[in-house]
Amino acid sequence: MAFATRDPDSVAYTQHRGPLRPDIVLVLTYLTISAVGLLMIYSATAPGLVARGLDPARALKEQAIFVLIGFLVFAVVSSIDITEVRGFVGPIYIIVIVMLVLVLTPLGESEGIAQRWIDLGPIQFQPSELAKIGVILMLASILASSDIPLTWQTVARALVVVGVPSVLIFAQPDLGTMLVFAFVMLAMLFIGGSTMRQLGFLFVATAVGVVGVFQIGLIKEYQINRLTAFIDPGAYELSLSYNQVQSEIAIGSGGLLGKGLFEGSQTNFQFVPVQSTDFIFTAVGEQFGFVGSIVIIALFGLLLFRLLSIAANARDRFGSLVATGIAAMFAFHVFINIGMTIRIMPVTGLPLPFMSAGGTVFVAMSAALGLAHSVWMRRSVSPGSRRRD
Amino acid sequence: MTNPLRLGIFGIVVVALFAVLGLRLWTMQVTEAQAYEDRALNNQVRVVSTPAPRGDIFDRNGVKLAGTRSALAAIVDLALVDDDDRGQLSQNLAAFLDVPASEISELLIEGSKKGVQVTVAEDLSDSAATFLLENRERFPGVNIVPQPIRTYPLAELGAHVLGYIGRPNADDLERDGVEGNEPVGKAGVERTYDDLLRGTEGVVEYRVDAKRKVLALAGEKTPTAGANLILTIDSEVQAQLQASLRDGLIQARRLEMDERRDALIDQSIADKLIEAQKKAVIEVAEELAAARAEGDSRTSSTDTETGVGDEDFDVPAAPITVDPIDVLGALYPGLPIDEAGVCVPVERVTIPLGGEGVLSGVEPRAVSFDSVVDQGSRFVATVTIDNETETVKNNQSFASTVQVVDISDERIILFSRDKWCPVRAVGVVENPNDGSIIAMASYPDYDPTAFVDGLSQEQWDSLGTVSAFQNFAVQGLYAPASTFKTLPYVLALEENYYPLDRGVGDKEVGATAGSTDGAPETEEPADASPVEEVVETDPVFEPLLSDTDEYSCTGLFKFQLNDGTVQTKKDWKWPGGHGPLDLHGALQASCDLYFWDIALRLWNERNDGSGVDKENLLQEYARGFGFGTATGIDLPFERDGLVPDKAWFVAEQREGSPRVRSDGSWVGGDLMDFAVGQGATLTTPLQMANGLAAMVNGGTIWTPRVVAQVVDQEGRLITENPPEIARSMDLDPRTSRMLLSDLQQVVNNQQRGTARTAFTNFGQGVELIGGKTGTSEIIQAPRVEHYKQVDSAFFVGVAPVTSPKWVVSVVVERGGSGGRVAAPIARQIFQFLLNGSDGVTELAPGLEAD
Repeated sequence: MAFATRDPDSVAYTQHRGPLRPDIVLVLTYLTISAVGLLMIYSATAPGLVARGLDPARALKEQAIFVLIGFLVFAVVSSIDITEVRGFVGPIYIIVIVMLVLVLTPLGESEGIAQRWIDLGPIQFQPSELAKIGVILMLASILASSDIPLTWQTVARALVVVGVPSVLIFAQPDLGTMLVFAFVMLAMLFIGGSTMRQLGFLFVATAVGVVGVFQIGLIKEYQINRLTAFIDPGAYELSLSYNQVQSEIAIGSGGLLGKGLFEGSQTNFQFVPVQSTDFIFTAVGEQFGFVGSIVIIALFGLLLFRLLSIAANARDRFGSLVATGIAAMFAFHVFINIGMTIRIMPVTGLPLPFMSAGGTVFVAMSAALGLAHSVWMRRSVSPGSRRRD
Repeated sequence: MTNPLRLGIFGIVVVALFAVLGLRLWTMQVTEAQAYEDRALNNQVRVVSTPAPRGDIFDRNGVKLAGTRSALAAIVDLALVDDDDRGQLSQNLAAFLDVPASEISELLIEGSKKGVQVTVAEDLSDSAATFLLENRERFPGVNIVPQPIRTYPLAELGAHVLGYIGRPNADDLERDGVEGNEPVGKAGVERTYDDLLRGTEGVVEYRVDAKRKVLALAGEKTPTAGANLILTIDSEVQAQLQASLRDGLIQARRLEMDERRDALIDQSIADKLIEAQKKAVIEVAEELAAARAEGDSRTSSTDTETGVGDEDFDVPAAPITVDPIDVLGALYPGLPIDEAGVCVPVERVTIPLGGEGVLSGVEPRAVSFDSVVDQGSRFVATVTIDNETETVKNNQSFASTVQVVDISDERIILFSRDKWCPVRAVGVVENPNDGSIIAMASYPDYDPTAFVDGLSQEQWDSLGTVSAFQNFAVQGLYAPASTFKTLPYVLALEENYYPLDRGVGDKEVGATAGSTDGAPETEEPADASPVEEVVETDPVFEPLLSDTDEYSCTGLFKFQLNDGTVQTKKDWKWPGGHGPLDLHGALQASCDLYFWDIALRLWNERNDGSGVDKENLLQEYARGFGFGTATGIDLPFERDGLVPDKAWFVAEQREGSPRVRSDGSWVGGDLMDFAVGQGATLTTPLQMANGLAAMVNGGTIWTPRVVAQVVDQEGRLITENPPEIARSMDLDPRTSRMLLSDLQQVVNNQQRGTARTAFTNFGQGVELIGGKTGTSEIIQAPRVEHYKQVDSAFFVGVAPVTSPKWVVSVVVERGGSGGRVAAPIARQIFQFLLNGSDGVTELAPGLEAD
């Protein structure tokens, strides 16, 4: 009724008016994946915590706080008009770069060999997660204001936008995030209207860059080992590939229907190291089997479908490109992470969105999804509104 | 506006990627599922973590103070034991370990609540461990793991610096990297450097089959021992310090007992006591009578002059109870004593229900625990003491000196306290040139080994009740008394600021502020000095212009308040006065008046428009020298102390804090108290040493430290704790030189040096010693004239005065006079530092001096 009386012509091109319309499917998918994630974190951490005489729900409680914060961030970001965000893209990008620099200073905290954290008293956070959003926004802003097809100058600017944070992230080092940047950039340029020649060039350039990095020894030894271990797991028995071997056993032994919740021997005996973070998918695979695994992949597929719909229905190119970039980021994370657990991808330390334990990741991913959702809520009058009218 | 075709292509790419995942999952989970299942079941690996030995701790010369002994422990991995086999396992283990089977099965049940790995036997012999491993069939699930055990080869030596370890509690688990049930540092450097000392756990991996049988050792990662600490402590000096503190405390207690005996022998005092007791009874009687006469309205005061005869007053109907401790004080014969007849600060007595116990004392007191009533949330006990029956509950104090610690339906635990008995001795030796701590101790102390196996009740009773586990060098707060006079001394020299007159005239306090509300300093509880009668003298206003101008140090200090009342403070340790003294003589003789007068002048000139905040100038100096804030030493639980000023006073008063009087404002008298280290002033023994170090080294305030280096197991440097300057005061070099020479006189001047007696027969090098004594009063609300004052004894010293290498501070809590009790302890330390252990002579009481 309210929709029927609205005059489509009164809706300004750049300013959304009228009621906001949430994407119920997207929101429900997001909530479902998050809830399953919490359950999996609990099942993966409780036996270990009990063995050490601690509260079995300790990890769950810690993550639940961030999930709630993530929900809140999603809601708040959703309600921000995406066109207003565009005005702040420059400052956001600069802040992100500054944080990436800070993490390399003594302010940054290292975990293991890599220095990825900033310590803010009670909380620590990983700026590289926020960097992904900053880069997507900046790329979208540049591409949205260029002619189609893109000029070589625009492509060069995009390369700089991605290059600067890549170098800083490389110094941490965080190979996974660099690969995310590369994939997101290629996807956004492709959607944003690059020529095939430009894409081909970037493809080759990326490949040469990766090989070059290996050749001149810029990559640390542990990264090479981690990458090669998955090709020949036998060579690193009980050490490097141990994660992947145990992860594979966990998922494979799950069978068609899984061993049942809290019944996974691999999970309960903590055979899979860092199961609650990078290897959370093994908890799904072992306990819920093939069916459960496919359901999770399907949920991510649904999420990506919604994101691409948002890209198609966006009011302007900027919004569309933001949605595309976020879709590309999620797609890459999901593929690389699950691929890693079933040993078709090397171990890169990319978390599974909304499921892996980790505060910054969850909140940053929620913010990213919120941005895309904001685009949807203010989508163009046609064809989005047609469905309702 | 975006190309839908390209979006579609992108979508197809994503679908393709996900399809790859799906296909791979299909092969793994459906086609090859059986193979993976077999691998999961048959090739499982059990991971047992093995604790890492903590790093060793050495003194500065490489003497080992804390180490690790390696032992073997047997654990049962419950995941490897079928529930049906548990009973048999318990029996086998019990037979082997020679303990009742019920004990083992209880351990297993208890352990299974906490985790899957239960320690059943610790510190096993090698042969026992081998036997268990070789008979796996009889001992399913039993694993032998290395078990590092902490040792402290020199026992009590350096206990408070080392600290102790223990099983983590909830608070410890909040700390970074603390997990599970491995011991963590709880105090001392064991706590501060816990993360470095702890090392990295090792891992032993066993392959087990689906029937939970151990097939083979799959892998082993040996634990990495934690880093070693090299302390700045010199264990020989530390040993001397601890011995001197122990002997000094024992001597202080003997002196205390001698004093009490003398007082009892002195018939006149005994008579006065009896008189005082009667008088107290009369006062109570009158109060009751007056209260009855005036109904419910409160009586304003009791006039002690109204004549009620000593013998013939009427006993009122209501029973009058006068606590003998209020009248007799330290002479009360029921105060606890040890076997040698020397006082103890607290005695713990446990009495079984229906039984009887004895509280020690010159006149022992029998206590019986007659009955107990369970009131649900607490127990209420009926006890009989001194032939009187009392009903008591937890924490209640009764029968003058007794306090209930805990009541159960089986026993009652009581503390009998003597609040006059010297309770502890604390000492610090610091290098004033780099802030390194050479020795630090607090007595009573403890052997940290006791904590390794857990404290026994007996140990806890004897040590816990006197807080032996706390490091009073950084946790104890004391009014520093006259040792603090070095502060106004330095201020006088640095600011060219001397007393307002020559010490014979009336002085004015609070011409503009002071006590307009009629709350003069007579009502000031923080003011330690008793107010005496007014003495009339001719006013002579003649300000002192230099440190060599002389001041008449009489025993009385008279000053006028703006409401016209004149008050007199008495130099209570030197009622006769010291005669004319300049700044140097005033410090040497510890003349209160001289320093009071500096404070008074600061107060009177606080609004003189000079632009200098004179009201807070002395406090600024105090804070500059590190008082009022923790020094930042690498030891836990360090306390800040207190530098009182107007802002603090106002804030405390607003909160209704008992530390300040409830009405009236911050007045000159408060500043005067502060100038001589009394009033609300609080410092730690470490701050006393560190502050003096800065005064004698030209104004460099070091951040003290006890750890010099952290090295790995091979001795390679991991981190260094270099000397760190907290602040610089930029003193005139002349100030430090003069201070050193005057401190030297405190020890060496045979006419007026307050520490001269303590240092007689020092041996070689006494002329290199400087120091300052101090005696602080602990106010315990005296109601009766002959109530015994409780004093704490202080001494801070420095040597050699020609080029300081050591600063020493000594505190004997409730020890009595600084010159008498604390200075002799410091004397032994300096003898050791200068002349070695052969130079140390017997402890003997020094001069009774402020």
